[in-house]
Amino acid sequence: MDYIDPHIHMVSRTTDDYETLARMGCIAMSEPAFWAGFDRGSVESFRDYFRQLTEFEPKRAAQFGIQHYTWLCINAKEAENVSLSREVIAMIPEFLSASNVLGIGEIGLNKNTKNESTIFLEHVDLAVRYGQQILIHTPHLEDKYQGTKMIVDMLVHDTRVDRSRVLVDHVEEHTIQEVLDQGFWAGMTLYPVTKCTPARAADMIERFGPERLMANSAGDWGPSKPTAIPDLIMELKRRGHSRQLIRKIVCENPCEFFSQSKNFKAPSALS
Amino acid sequence: MSTDPKPAARRADKILAEEFFLARSKILDLAATLDRLERGQGSVDELQQRLLLQQGMEILLDDQSDKARRVQLLMSRPYDPDWRKNYGLH
Ligand SMILES: [Zn+2]
Repeated sequence: MDYIDPHIHMVSRTTDDYETLARMGCIAMSEPAFWAGFDRGSVESFRDYFRQLTEFEPKRAAQFGIQHYTWLCINAKEAENVSLSREVIAMIPEFLSASNVLGIGEIGLNKNTKNESTIFLEHVDLAVRYGQQILIHTPHLEDKYQGTKMIVDMLVHDTRVDRSRVLVDHVEEHTIQEVLDQGFWAGMTLYPVTKCTPARAADMIERFGPERLMANSAGDWGPSKPTAIPDLIMELKRRGHSRQLIRKIVCENPCEFFSQSKNFKAPSALS
Repeated sequence: MSTDPKPAARRADKILAEEFFLARSKILDLAATLDRLERGQGSVDELQQRLLLQQGMEILLDDQSDKARRVQLLMSRPYDPDWRKNYGLH
């Protein structure tokens, strides 16, 4: 089945992975800017990283017939460095006209600190001023519940934010309800150990229904599996769910959400 | 606006038959972890992580539903609605 991975970090993946994803049905993907596995030292590092995301990765993906989109920001881990963060935020507009940029992301919180919150708010302001969509990273493990509530609080507080243009990622059983109730889109991240398994993601689809809900693999530097969405498709099929329901989660929802960005072109397989 | 309903629920006896061996192996993993802790040097009985495991297992055994969400909340730092004020943010 054709699918879209709305959150996958291909800079940490080999070209062989692109080929495998294409063979498994991946037709489009979006790659939010994130941590590089180490803290970067200067704004120029980020400039090169944004060139990689807007110039190099789309070409690598295109070799396998996959559309590659991206989101720009300085991630929450590095946002603890406020002065560097502000330099990066000031530089982002240079890249907003690149043809594969969908918006600002993945912004969010990591350890839910004051500095992270300050930089989160400045990213939201940037997105609003430039009419950009937003992709959100919520913290992991014991920080997720608190951090997700703080993020929702900040977004709801800013009346300029159009919630239908915001995707809140890494939701789990204790955060999904509030995110959906507040009118945001929600993404479940399928991860071998610390996040959500395909079976638990299928449970959330059964409990909350398919509206404004999608799934992603993250596929990052940690122990992650870039082919996790096909695993979810198999789990949903095994449970007897309709092709229509599965397609809504893995194809139509990402497509509908991304279509709010002028740079997104629906893959021809979907039109 | 789509009108997709929530997917229909499957039969519980079918779910049990399908998932029994997986659940059995997870209980065994947990049992073996507890045995391993007991064989280890020193005691962890008073450590916060051990208490969290205990409380988590109690949620599994109680007669209430929504267990996954309740285990998640148990393992979470609390949210303070006044956090902005504490951080001096407006
Ligand atoms: Zn990510």
